[in-house]
Parts: sequence; structure tokens; C-alpha cells
Amino acid sequence: MLKFALKNMAIKKVQIILIVLSIIISASVAVLAFNVSTQVSDGITENAMWYSVIVGPSGSETQLAMNTMYFTDKPVGTIPFSVVSTLSSDSRVTLAVPFSMADSYNGASVIGTTTDYLKKDGELLELKSGDMLNDQESMQVVVGCNVASRNDLKVGDQIRTSHSASSLDTHETPLTVVGILEKTGSVFDNVVFTQYRTLWEIHDHSNSGEHEDEDHESGHEDESSHSHEKTVCAVLLKTKNPAVAMQIINEYNGKVILDEDGDAHTLQAITPMDAVREVLNDADDTKYIVFVLCAVILVMNIMIISIITLLNMYHSAKEISLMRLIGVSMKKINLLYLIQNAIIGIFSVTLAFGASRILLFFMNDYVSSMGVVLNLSRVYLSEIIILLAVFLISVIPTLIWTLIMSKRDSIAG
Amino acid sequence: MIEINGLKKQFQNETVIEYEDITFESGKSYMLLGASGCGKSTLLNIIAGILSPSEGSVTIDGTVMTKESQKKKDKFRIKKIGYIFQDFKLIEDMTVMDNINILKLEGIKTDDAPKILDELGISEKKNSKIKHLSGGQKQRVAIARALVKKPEIILADEPTGNLNFAIGEEVIKELVRASVGKTLIAVTHDERLSKYFDTVIDMNNITSGRRDIVKEDEKNA
Repeated sequence: MLKFALKNMAIKKVQIILIVLSIIISASVAVLAFNVSTQVSDGITENAMWYSVIVGPSGSETQLAMNTMYFTDKPVGTIPFSVVSTLSSDSRVTLAVPFSMADSYNGASVIGTTTDYLKKDGELLELKSGDMLNDQESMQVVVGCNVASRNDLKVGDQIRTSHSASSLDTHETPLTVVGILEKTGSVFDNVVFTQYRTLWEIHDHSNSGEHEDEDHESGHEDESSHSHEKTVCAVLLKTKNPAVAMQIINEYNGKVILDEDGDAHTLQAITPMDAVREVLNDADDTKYIVFVLCAVILVMNIMIISIITLLNMYHSAKEISLMRLIGVSMKKINLLYLIQNAIIGIFSVTLAFGASRILLFFMNDYVSSMGVVLNLSRVYLSEIIILLAVFLISVIPTLIWTLIMSKRDSIAG
Repeated sequence: MIEINGLKKQFQNETVIEYEDITFESGKSYMLLGASGCGKSTLLNIIAGILSPSEGSVTIDGTVMTKESQKKKDKFRIKKIGYIFQDFKLIEDMTVMDNINILKLEGIKTDDAPKILDELGISEKKNSKIKHLSGGQKQRVAIARALVKKPEIILADEPTGNLNFAIGEEVIKELVRASVGKTLIAVTHDERLSKYFDTVIDMNNITSGRRDIVKEDEKNA
């Protein structure tokens, strides 16, 4: 039966290739859309859960969260370093990580922080070569793997940063590459990390030198360099528990502090999870549109698959009638066509799953810019349900057709 | 033995063919002769269980086949009857062997197919697609498919209809030779072939009805 089914399929290869392609396209697009949107959503949420509170200058909550976690957009502004010192010594805080984003190296942002920022699940990120930053030192950099390969950097090289990506004026003081990060598949691959005080030293040096800050892209950076008190863009906190996190947010949100020059700075404190959730809620509309489009594609393909299958069966009516005349029972004919369609279904669905993983692999680079690394081996139950549904769609028209044919039991007369 | 009793077939447009009672002895060959539309093919189709009669019965070896369900008639046809259709009923895009192997779907062994194809002189074509064969070769494939299951009854509807006389005569000779010991009922309008059969039945004498339009009805059926 199987052998005959395969031979029968071989003589209709063009029709079958069309059916298989149609199934692959519809199923892989639907599965891919579901997988990517779910992994991105989960990944962003997971990243946001790492810190309980972010304290920064007043302004957009979303901008503060996205800037400190995904290096998107410009910093909201700066806050005096005394905020970091105060929070570091707060007994409710288990970890306070200063964060500054200033300067650029050949288009890559330079992040001033501590090694705590370069930890994932409590472990320092792996290095491809060299060593991690020494928090007690300065003028060192650890570069992301993409930055290293793009600029052909190796440990021991010296780099000069500039005020902005578009600026040609570089700072006089060179920074030494002490380490190159192993590929993370995230935004970390595309930036340069240095000690936060390195940024102060560069700008101090820059201000005292011949270069004036004519080219500064951001007013905040100017503020950072002109101010007597040292500043950072934000401080990321881990707290003992969620209750104290709320206390800190209440205390610091809207708080006004004066720096050494007597300038007032209004602070904001946010829960990164809430800020990200807000972003995701906005993105949900987009996700909804993507799902609706996928559903439309799927429905259209269901129709195409059904029509092609029914046309296929219609064209097969002659051979079915022939087999009936010879004496082959309808039960055997039904089984024959079911086997054929099941083979097509299994083959197509398997290829569709494979195609979705290949597309997922290619999408990884794009998605990693959002700080999420797609896991190619992650399979969701809904994906299996989608594939199962597509498989059934490829078999159901045959079932219906053969059922109709079975009802016409007599051959003629 | 095949017994035809009080057989009448009425078609949708009210055309009626009535048959006189006929008996086909086992192991003999019969030639059904007659003008187009006299009901020759209809009779074969009723014997084969493809058509159901309006009245009367067909009894094969004591079993009244016309009373059986379609399922049983199909089973009987594939096991016991080798039917050679006028238009061959072969799948054009499949090879000769694949067309014969369709019978395997019902558990019929086709191991003798190469030998039969060899006897019919088309063994070299066994892997050729039907669409690449001539009319005579297709007819031989249809005969091979009918014979490979070692049927007790062979029904042949105009087996020479698509062939010139010389080739047609060869086909009939081969068919009669292969049917020794079986009941062969062949429909033809060519009287020159009658010498190869044990009995010739002139259907014009044993049927009645509006013969002129029966042919069309059979096609529609």
C-alpha cells in the first residue's frame, strides 16, 4: 500500500510540490511569528527582572529603563554620584551599580559602570581573551565581540573615544583594551565597557586640554563634563525584597537633591519591570496585528491547501473510478489516499518546522539588538498545536472527499 | 456456470433491454455478437457486478450475485473475474507493472505478471508508462492484468475494438489460448473472429429494446 501510494504520488509531483510549498510557507510563518514574539516578550521581561529599581534623573520612565538595560536612545540626563554613594550604603540595597553612557568608539557606545554590570546570574560574562575590568583601576576597556571584530581589536590595543558617533574629534587620552567578551548574542556584543570613573577622567582631561566641547551631541554629557561634582546617568539597584524596593521608589521618586554647585536635580525611581511591561503593552498591539496577519495567512493557506487537495482528488476521480471498476474496495482506496495525504502532511509539517528554525537562526542577529538571545531549541506547545492543525488541514479534505465517495457505494446504475 | 434469468435493465431515460435466459458453461469460450446498442456490454457489466439489473438475476456457481451487496460484488469481481475493458482502464502515467500491481491493494499476488507479459510479447515494456504504448500494447497490458489474478471468468468488452484486424486477431488468439479451462465471454462486432470461440451468441436475437440509444445510456451510466 505504502509503495503504491508513493508511486501514485510520484506521478503527481508538480501538484504535490505545490501543496508541500503552500503548507511550508503557511505553517513556518505562523510558527515563527509565535515563537519570536513569545521569546522576545519573555526575554525582555526576564532581563527587566534582574534589577528591582533604577534611580535616574526625572524624565521618561521608558527611556530610562530602555537606556540602562538595552542601551537604546540617549540617557535621560545625569544625577550626582552622591546618589550612588548613598544608595550603596543603604542597608535595604544589596547591590548598587552605577551606569553612565557617554562617548563613542567608531559608532559603538561606551558604557561606564562596574564589573557587577557584567554579571549574568551572578557570574561574570565569559571572555574571549584578556581579563575583566579592574574596578579599582581606570582607563581600561572590555569590548563586545562584534566591536572587537569590526575594529580588529585585540588585548593590549589602545583606543580613543569621541564625544559622539558622528564626531571626528577624539579624546586625547587613550584607553587600553584589557579584554574581549565572548559572543553573548545580545546588545553587549555591540558596546564598549569601561569603569565609570574612566569617563570622568577622560572628560576632565578633555576639559583641561586644548579641545573644547564643541561637538558634544548631548547636553547631558556637557553637564557631566562641566560639573564639579561627578555624575552618572543612573544607578541600578537590587534590593533585599520587593517591599523595600517600593519604599525606595517612594522615597526617591520626585526627590530633589542639590549638588556641590547648588544645582537642583530631580530624581525618578522606577521598577524596570513596570517600565518594560508598559513597552510590551504598546508592543502587544503590534504583536496582535502580527498574529492577525498570521491568522489571515493561515486561513488563506488553509483554503489554498484545501482547494489544491480537493482539485487533486477531483483529478483522481478517474483513477478512483478505474480502481473501483477493477474491484478495489472503497475502503482500500480511502486508505491509499489517506496515506498519501498523511505523507504529504508529515513531510510538509516537518519541513515547515525546520524552516521556522532556520528563519529563527537568521532572525537572532536582529532580535539580539533588543537584548534577547533567541533559543533555537525552544519549542512551545502552541507551535505544536499550529503544526498539528496544519497537518489535519492537509488530511481533512481527503477524508471528506473519500467519505463522499464511500456514500456512493454502487459503481454505476 | 453463469445463469442469466429474466434479466431486464432499464436506464434513466426509460430505455429497456430485456434478455432471454442464457447459460454460460464453465470452461467454455463465448462470443457475444451484435450491433451497437443491443446490450452486449450491459450484460458484461451486470455479470461483473458493475451494473445492477432492474429485474431478473445472475447466478454464478449457485450464488445469486445480483442479490449480493456492492461490497461482495466488488470482492467477487477482483478475486474471480478478469475484466478487459474496451477503453483498457489503465492509469496512463503509471508503468505497465504499476498498473498490474494495483491488484496488490486487494491482496492479489502478481508474481506471474512478468511471465504473462512475456507470453503476450510485451515483457520489454513492463517498465514503460502506459501513455507511451500503442493501442495494441495497451490492450495486451489490460489482458495481462485480467489474467494475472488467475480468474475463473474472463470478460472482454470489445478487446479488438481499437485494433486493426490483424493485430485484433492476434490478441483474440492469445486471449483464447490464455483462457483455456476458464469461462471466457468476449463481446465483439467482428464476425471474422467467431472461429476462435466455442459458442457464438447473436445478441440481436436474444435481446429486445430501443437499441439505438442504449449505447449512450451505457456511457452515461
